[in-house]
Amino acid sequence: MIQIMIIKNFFIALRQIAIGNKKYYMWISFLSFLVLLGISAYAGQINRGLIATAMRDQVSWGLYISNFTFLVGVAAAAVLLVIPAYIYNFKPIKEIVLFGELLAVTAIVMCILFIMVDMGQPLRVWHILPVIGAMNFPSSLLAWDVVALNGYLIINTAIVFYVLYRLSIGKEYKMSVIGPLIILSIPWAVSIHTVTAFLYNGLSSRPFWNASILAPRFLASAFCSGPAIMIVLFQIIRKLSDVEIENKAIFKIAELIAYAIGLNLFLLGAEVFKEFYSGSIHSEPVKYLYFGLHGHNNLVPWIWFATAMNITAFFMFLFPRTRENFVTLNMACVFVITGVYIEKGMGLIIPGFVPDTLGEIYEYIPTMQEILVTIGVWASGAMLYTFLLKFAVPVYTGKLRFGLRAKGIVARDIMTRHLITVSPETEADEISKLLISRRISAVPVVDADNKVIGVVSESDIIFQEIRHEPEVAERLGKLVLPEAQKGKKLGDTASDIMTSPAITALEDTSMKELIRSIADRKIKRIIIVDGKGHPVGIVSRVDILRTLDNIKLDSLKEGKD
Amino acid sequence: MKQDRKRCIGRRTFLQGAALGLASVALPLDKADASFWEAFFQKHFREMNEAEIKKVLSRLEKDYEDKYRKEIKVGNEKPMPGVLFGYGLDLSRCIGCRRCVYACVEENNQSLDPQIHWITVLRFRKGEKWVDLENSEKYYNPAQVPEKEYFYMPIQCQQCENPPCVRVCPTKATWKEPDGIVVIDYNWCIGCRYCMAACPYGARRFNWGEPGRPAEKINPKTHYLGNRPRYKGVVEKCTFCIQRTRNGRYPACVEACPVGARKFGNLLDPQSEIRYAIEHKRVFRLKEDLNTNPKFYYFFAYGK
Repeated sequence: MIQIMIIKNFFIALRQIAIGNKKYYMWISFLSFLVLLGISAYAGQINRGLIATAMRDQVSWGLYISNFTFLVGVAAAAVLLVIPAYIYNFKPIKEIVLFGELLAVTAIVMCILFIMVDMGQPLRVWHILPVIGAMNFPSSLLAWDVVALNGYLIINTAIVFYVLYRLSIGKEYKMSVIGPLIILSIPWAVSIHTVTAFLYNGLSSRPFWNASILAPRFLASAFCSGPAIMIVLFQIIRKLSDVEIENKAIFKIAELIAYAIGLNLFLLGAEVFKEFYSGSIHSEPVKYLYFGLHGHNNLVPWIWFATAMNITAFFMFLFPRTRENFVTLNMACVFVITGVYIEKGMGLIIPGFVPDTLGEIYEYIPTMQEILVTIGVWASGAMLYTFLLKFAVPVYTGKLRFGLRAKGIVARDIMTRHLITVSPETEADEISKLLISRRISAVPVVDADNKVIGVVSESDIIFQEIRHEPEVAERLGKLVLPEAQKGKKLGDTASDIMTSPAITALEDTSMKELIRSIADRKIKRIIIVDGKGHPVGIVSRVDILRTLDNIKLDSLKEGKD
Repeated sequence: MKQDRKRCIGRRTFLQGAALGLASVALPLDKADASFWEAFFQKHFREMNEAEIKKVLSRLEKDYEDKYRKEIKVGNEKPMPGVLFGYGLDLSRCIGCRRCVYACVEENNQSLDPQIHWITVLRFRKGEKWVDLENSEKYYNPAQVPEKEYFYMPIQCQQCENPPCVRVCPTKATWKEPDGIVVIDYNWCIGCRYCMAACPYGARRFNWGEPGRPAEKINPKTHYLGNRPRYKGVVEKCTFCIQRTRNGRYPACVEACPVGARKFGNLLDPQSEIRYAIEHKRVFRLKEDLNTNPKFYYFFAYGK
């Protein structure tokens, strides 16, 4: 029986992916197009062999491994959110850590794809597995990476799905269950990037990589680009869905990025000093990278561009004025993502091979086929992340619930969580903007102790706007405004215009009671509060409609079973 | 809602199509015969027993015959006890003629197009920095060799006693045999090229494309771990002509050298030519500081 439930819920979740508005279908079609482009380029590569790429014996890794290295960093950076969220219990970040972990899962999947497209014999991938294959563990760092990356994938998938599962059945997740996993995920995140650094670091044949500063540099740069990607994604998520992500959380992450870039630039400086001051023959790759060697200078403009991007981004993240302005913040994010993508990608992999071990210089420029395959992998990643969000967002906000039975449904099961609140001093104009931008119809007003003292709804604002024309107001008031609006005083702040007291109910109020309450008082929504009177969610009429619809669906299916 | 559902079906069909497309890319279904799956599930060479190896060898011989319309023997000569192969190269004799390179290609069935050479001959200017790889020339092409102002240095797999390539291989597809030869199982290599990044001597070659070699140019006497025809997407390199040396013959490059610059023998045999060279000449090995401990010795028999 439980299996049937799980399978059924799986399909309900899957259905989420297929439902969306026009923009969503356009986005998915666009990504599908890019994925298909990538697949056809990859089919060509399989057909002809890796000769379709610009890689050769001299430079035997290229764009694919560069992207792999960059994405390991993105995956590792999820830890930057986990630490403050769970260890220091920093609430604003805790609320959004789920989306960071979904990004980590996506990034690891992309890493695996990049390794697969780089392999000469992808069908033999099972040879690398323990037991059925012949994994060269612990000797090969690539074997370590297989363990580290897949372990990280499993840990993060487990955390994410456990949290979503609990939320989807209307319960809070138990820290006693995922606590140990979360604690484990922190050193593990550090390990995936360390092991990936060691993969290059351990090769005495490649002086450019054979520097002990490599692993620290990897981590520092990962903590620049990963969180920057998250900042951009969080803004998109909160714009396109009703997930509330506080500015406070975004600015905190931005501040952490400033420190990470500072550290990254310091480590880079330390390495540049050592290479150029000592000036041994082993500095040739660095010379090639920054100044060109014997007239070969393909990477030179790129690395200086990346360096300029990183330094500019550093100052933009450092100063609160630019960090807390969304225009400059997003510019800085794009700068640091670009900078690190070049520096930790091609800027790291290619000079490892130039000049090669016998002194030859082969200048690598990726072919169109390589670029298309790379775009295809990125598009697959974007599609995977979109699908994961499509499922995770409604669960997170409480719009998607499983296993509901009409009997026994309480407010906690159907309410929309993570609601936005305003203080009594908030200006009416500001509330109006909030309602429009978040596409909600009302917002609770809380006092300094986070107790609900009223609600400001669309109609309160409309009433405010027409107050200067008493005639219209009176007529309109008769038509559309509920009884409660009449005879209210006028003003400019939330406390002036709110409907007070707010109609509230406790989390365990049954749905029947909620319906009765809404019907009897002719109201549109009920604020759900916990025992202390703090708001925890909101049940609007559409929440009830959705629940009734779900129940119908469930009972229909049971009839068939 | 209805419209949504329609789209949903459309999408699903699309996904199925994409999945099938992917599968057809990954699995050559037209080749889905017994031989393909046997090759796919073939075990690691060192984990097979004699009977299993025999079966694999005969399957390979049949596959090669189908492909090249010619009988090709795939041997599995074992290392001889008490033998550790070593190589000597007299730089004072080498004239840079590349005959060793061509003999190697003829013997070891390398791809002609795309071109694969196991031996690289570098040209250095005399009187400058000693073995200055940075300023060496790999693509020298004068009307006549030797050239007065240059000396030459052939480089191939150094058969390290402490091989970095073996250490890094994630699948144990490359290993050092008891007679000191570092070999590759071309049926186990996944083509990740980590060994190529690890090799300090640029000795390893990758089959970037389908190996191209006409049937009439195939040397039919092969060894599983040596010169049998290779596949697209796997790594290969010099094996000291394992198919010859394990049968008591010299490597092809030693035989081809017109000036006798190349010496070969058993390092464990005090009477061998290679031991004589090591004990009586001032020998050096390439990139000693990396501690790879090559079994490939360079020396100058006489100064000039």
